[in-house]
Amino acid sequence: MSLKEYFKIAIKNLMTRPLRSWLTILGIVIGVFLITSLLSISEGLQNTIMKELKMIGKDIVIIVPGEATNFVTAFLGHLKLSDEDLKAIRKTEGVEAVVPVIDKTEIVRYRGESKPILISGSDWRNSLEIYQTDMGLSLKEGRWPVAGKKEVVVGSLIPEEIFKDLIINTYLSIQGRNYEIVGILNSMGSKMDDSLVHLDADIFKEITGERKGANQALAKIKSGYSPETVAENIKENLKEVQKRRQGQDEIPFSVLTSEKVGGIVSNVTGVIQLAVFSFASIAIAVGGIGIMNTMYTSVHERTREIGILKAVGAKSSVITFLFLVESGIIGVVGGLGGLLPGLALAKLIESVAQVHPVFYIEASFSPFILFFGVSFSFFVGCLSGFLPARRAASLKPVDALRSYE
Amino acid sequence: MSNEPLIKLEKIFKTYQLGKTDIAVLKGLDLNIREGSFAVILGPSGSGKSTLLNIVGLLDTPDAGKVFFKGRDTSHLSGDDLAEIRGGSIGFVFQQFNLLSNLTALENVMIPMLFQDIEEKKRVARAENLLSSMGLAERLDHRPSEMSGGEQQRVAIARSLANQPDVIVADEPTGNLDSTTGKIIMEILIDLHKKEKKTIIVVTHDPTIADYGEETIRIKDGMLLKDHKHEEEVVWEEKK
Repeated sequence: MSLKEYFKIAIKNLMTRPLRSWLTILGIVIGVFLITSLLSISEGLQNTIMKELKMIGKDIVIIVPGEATNFVTAFLGHLKLSDEDLKAIRKTEGVEAVVPVIDKTEIVRYRGESKPILISGSDWRNSLEIYQTDMGLSLKEGRWPVAGKKEVVVGSLIPEEIFKDLIINTYLSIQGRNYEIVGILNSMGSKMDDSLVHLDADIFKEITGERKGANQALAKIKSGYSPETVAENIKENLKEVQKRRQGQDEIPFSVLTSEKVGGIVSNVTGVIQLAVFSFASIAIAVGGIGIMNTMYTSVHERTREIGILKAVGAKSSVITFLFLVESGIIGVVGGLGGLLPGLALAKLIESVAQVHPVFYIEASFSPFILFFGVSFSFFVGCLSGFLPARRAASLKPVDALRSYE
Repeated sequence: MSNEPLIKLEKIFKTYQLGKTDIAVLKGLDLNIREGSFAVILGPSGSGKSTLLNIVGLLDTPDAGKVFFKGRDTSHLSGDDLAEIRGGSIGFVFQQFNLLSNLTALENVMIPMLFQDIEEKKRVARAENLLSSMGLAERLDHRPSEMSGGEQQRVAIARSLANQPDVIVADEPTGNLDSTTGKIIMEILIDLHKKEKKTIIVVTHDPTIADYGEETIRIKDGMLLKDHKHEEEVVWEEKK
């Protein structure tokens, strides 16, 4: 008996009891919907962060307030590096230069349109080279701003998606003041970076009122020094500042090499993905129990039918496979049915998150997630149908035919 | 035609459990069915005739004793081996018709051929021929619920012939039909026996059906009474 014949019979059987079949499929749809949407978001999150990290050169040490594993404090930047901290970093042996990372979301107005955009204060005078060589900034058109002037360069997505008719040598307005757009940057591969407006650090401080400190800092390492050693040195210096200031030995910062950050990100997102997978698996398992229930009911209701098939020559393996194909179809249809809304939800979350530029999340629709969603639901379908199928196959034809007599 | 019986039963015992009570249904029964014969197994309700038919048709296995099919001892065969013999060599006609309700007449007749790996074109052609020969050429796409009892039983007979079996085993084939339709069904079976030399075994409680057979096997309380037709009249007390 060919696979095609099994499918024809299985589909016919499932369509005989359409409501029950669809309700069972719905159980799997919900599970796959969850697993797909959450996995694509968490994978997207990892990809976004890793992309950011790739932009940073290997001879850079990152100083982040708070515990490095605590992404919320790190990203929200409730803790800040003070000017004293920045000075201590600058003085550390092996540090060539320090780039404070200061940014804030402001309402930016361009040709009558206003949008919340993340603006970044850039030290054009001292750090332009670092921006170019270590942070991957390059111009697509125009020129770099002159330090101290009311000039900005914008990320590549600003004219592409945010202000679609934006061109250089025009003006955008922040807090009622006009800034000339002198350049548009090439894409850096990260939507968050590509949506930034860069302006002079001093002007940034002026308009945001955040005159001291920085959210984070990047320290460029002198050649011949290892990033790990310099990171340790920076830590020691920050400890001294902390001791002087508050009498504590512990520093509320994490000093990380880009390699270490990559490892932490992988670990954290790995844990997130494991948690997502575990919760979504429970949902699919519940769907699997639904399949099992349906298949047991089906075996019970179709006992006589099984008897007839056996009487006319069906072997036990044929009966087993027939029921497995039915439960497998339920699994696959449920998987495909959950995939589309799952991906749609991920896309929706992505577009909602886009409103907050700091938490930009790019949903990932990797073939692995698609394959995993469908194959996992197929596997659960077959697994759930196995015991009922074995039960059907083990029925003696005479007993099966006698049912309902 | 060889001298060896098509089906041979030796000292067959079968007991059922009803709660804690054991009920002996067949008590050391011997039986030979010759190839090309038309045998009617006649007996009252509870005599064990259906159990006997199930064992003859390899749907059930005895607790003790041996069943030979075409000289082959089936006692130690697996469920799948028995299914293979049933599928290829035995056709079944049941009182309840036992058609698959979600399949059309054509599909029902094609089902046994599916398990013999007969290709689809041949399956369709053979099933159409069989149904046409049963006078059901216009009912190919009808489901059992859209057909009368007589039509359903004719579909069941067509299905029993699908794999050109050696023997057709019919359990009360007229039991659910009116007398006129029942007569038509029996005439079809006689026709198959006479024209196609099929071995037919019919189980019934109705003595009038016995008239259609060449030999009557009477069974009472799990034992055979006589092995030849019209030698002895037995009046059965039927519960109707």
